[in-house]
Amino acid sequence: MMTFFLQLNRIKILGIFLSLFIILIGFQMIRIQVSTHADTLDSWASNYGTEVRTIQSERGYIYDRGGHLLAGNKEVYELGVELQYVRNPVAIATAMASIFGSDYNTILTSVSTPYDATGSVYVTLLNFLPLDQIDKLDALKRQYEDANPYGQNPDLPSLRGLVWTPHLQRVYPEGNLASNILGFYTYYDRDKGKGYFGVEEKYDNLLAGIKQKVVIPLDPYEMQEIPTAPAGASLVLTIDREIQRTVEKILDKAVKNNGAKNGTIIVENPKTGDIIAMASTPRLDPNTYWDYEKLFPAGTSYNMAVSQVYEPGSVFKVLTMAGALDSGAVKWDTPFTDTGIIEVGGWPIYNWDRGAWGNQNMIGCMQHSLNVCLSWIALEMGPDKFYEYMDRFGIGHRTNIDMANEEVYPLSEPGDPMWYSINLATNSFGQGVAVTPIQLIMAASAIANDGKMMAPHILHSYIQNGQQYKTNPQVVGAPISKETADILTEMLAISLEQEASDALVEGYRVAGKTGTAEIAVNGQYSSGKTNASFVGWGPVDDPQFIVYVWLEQPKSSIWGSVVAAPVFRDVVKELVVLMNIPPDDLRKSLAAGQ
Amino acid sequence: MTTSTERSTSNRRQRRKVNIKWAQAFKQAPWRGQIQTAGLFMLSLVVIIVIASIYLSISGRAASAGLSAYRLNAERQTLERQIADRKAKIAVLTSVTLMEQRAKDMGFERISSTDAIYVMVPGYPGKQAVVLAAPPGINESSRSLVLPIYRHSIWDWLFQGINRLSESVGGGA
Repeated sequence: MMTFFLQLNRIKILGIFLSLFIILIGFQMIRIQVSTHADTLDSWASNYGTEVRTIQSERGYIYDRGGHLLAGNKEVYELGVELQYVRNPVAIATAMASIFGSDYNTILTSVSTPYDATGSVYVTLLNFLPLDQIDKLDALKRQYEDANPYGQNPDLPSLRGLVWTPHLQRVYPEGNLASNILGFYTYYDRDKGKGYFGVEEKYDNLLAGIKQKVVIPLDPYEMQEIPTAPAGASLVLTIDREIQRTVEKILDKAVKNNGAKNGTIIVENPKTGDIIAMASTPRLDPNTYWDYEKLFPAGTSYNMAVSQVYEPGSVFKVLTMAGALDSGAVKWDTPFTDTGIIEVGGWPIYNWDRGAWGNQNMIGCMQHSLNVCLSWIALEMGPDKFYEYMDRFGIGHRTNIDMANEEVYPLSEPGDPMWYSINLATNSFGQGVAVTPIQLIMAASAIANDGKMMAPHILHSYIQNGQQYKTNPQVVGAPISKETADILTEMLAISLEQEASDALVEGYRVAGKTGTAEIAVNGQYSSGKTNASFVGWGPVDDPQFIVYVWLEQPKSSIWGSVVAAPVFRDVVKELVVLMNIPPDDLRKSLAAGQ
Repeated sequence: MTTSTERSTSNRRQRRKVNIKWAQAFKQAPWRGQIQTAGLFMLSLVVIIVIASIYLSISGRAASAGLSAYRLNAERQTLERQIADRKAKIAVLTSVTLMEQRAKDMGFERISSTDAIYVMVPGYPGKQAVVLAAPPGINESSRSLVLPIYRHSIWDWLFQGINRLSESVGGGA
């Protein structure tokens, strides 16, 4: 053997060694492939080769029509411990107690949970922490780490194992502004959070985007485009935050000054159906949505404007008169002698003051809000025509406004078991019929918009995948003709002017009608409790807004003309400035000089 | 006889000498053969090393690109969170309540309808709703961020090249 090696030169020896080395490598490769550990190695490769990650897209934003953020997302942190790396549970519990005010014993118990690779690996300690608090913790952790690297000395404090993960939390920068429109998102439930009320509920699916589990290869050679979940769609609402804020302030003041139980004000563009402002009481700060039950006891609507039905009273006379004029049952100058009483179905109907107002025309009937006159008008129309017009105005139907929890009360018509002949008379002046404020403003907007009734809506446009999609105004009907709308608007403007109503606004001609509806308590109408309301629009020659005011059970006065009409005036005085509407004379002269 | 025998022997030697000289003219010297073998070996070694280097270089760059992709993805997520957070902070700082208070603190007052001075501005359309994104049109977002060329391995590139070549040679349809 030795002789054999001696006969070989150095190159051949090197060749043999290299060949053996290659054979060994080949042998080792085969051995690894067929070894009993191959399956284990394979499973390791599978486990470490990919990562299953849940991708939750960011919830979409909500803006007002001016682009001001009403609902967004802010960065917060989840704080937890990776049990495997905890070195000093006492130090962690002490730090948590001092920085976050956490209960020392609770934290210590959590942090002391034994590590179990198949079970207990990570424990969440706190969540939704702001960055400044995390910064404090981070500084302390670094300080401990410098003094005690890797937490090797058990006698020295160490925050090893403590980890924090950023995520987003829903936030409403304007606080309770427009909260009755927005609703709220239950962000504390990170897995099953959802939108409640308003647009947060109505457009929950659109805002939420996509939540999906994806498998991401960790092998850099298998690099591919990492899947992303596109953010939820963002919404641009029709409301203007300055007008909304102003209207809310006026409403709060009116509710307080008049001792009303609650109230609501809606401002709408009658030409498009855009809701410019919608305020209701009470209002919740959606950042602390858990106060909901405290603020809204059973029976209280989150948004009265769309969710609370009530008997509207005399504002409903606008619809009765519109139907009567349009059907030809009466004309604006049709005379009526008011005797103070009219009998319908064996039941007497009286005026609000139980007085007789003598000779009137239709303007007088509206100006003095005469129940007897309106009952007579309804009788002149007949039930078929009357209810046909109510149907055209959408009474008894949902408006389908794009907000959650819209309520509706069915309208009893002839043939229904709950309908009696007296209903025709009482319905004519808004008793025995129930509507929501949004229903009533939609119906009245037809009079302010040349007879065309626009669908009320809160969504101006939405932004999805980097593109903005605008919603188009929709005509939902034309219950009356343009001529009827013009005549009735003029009648209502004259009636306000002749009455020297508190609703009048200097420099601007407005049309409108007050309403005072008695509230039924245990089946009996109580004269002491009323719903005071006002619906009006302007400027009369070119209506830019329609405003509906409802104060529930005011104590300062029961009359809509006393409590609701001044609120309308206050709103309009601010509206004309915020909407850049010049006084009528100036507007006409500017238009003429254009 | 002797003379002729010697001559014939001398001729054979002469021919042999010539033959030897001829054979030597077409045979490589041993050292030249060894150099050629070594040269061929070295050449193949260099080719292998070059291919291996290219492969390693591309693999390394692919791995580096993969890691960068993960890192950039994480960075993008962080930036998206920070952008959302900044938006919320700006919204808080410019909320209507705070802005109103700041305006009051600066001595501004709310204007009333009777105090306002209106001027007709030709072409001014009045307050318009905000435009935050482009209207529907070209769908940019559906385009892949990573171009297909960056998703090809060297083998994909090689095989596709061979396929294209064979198709062009074969006069494929």
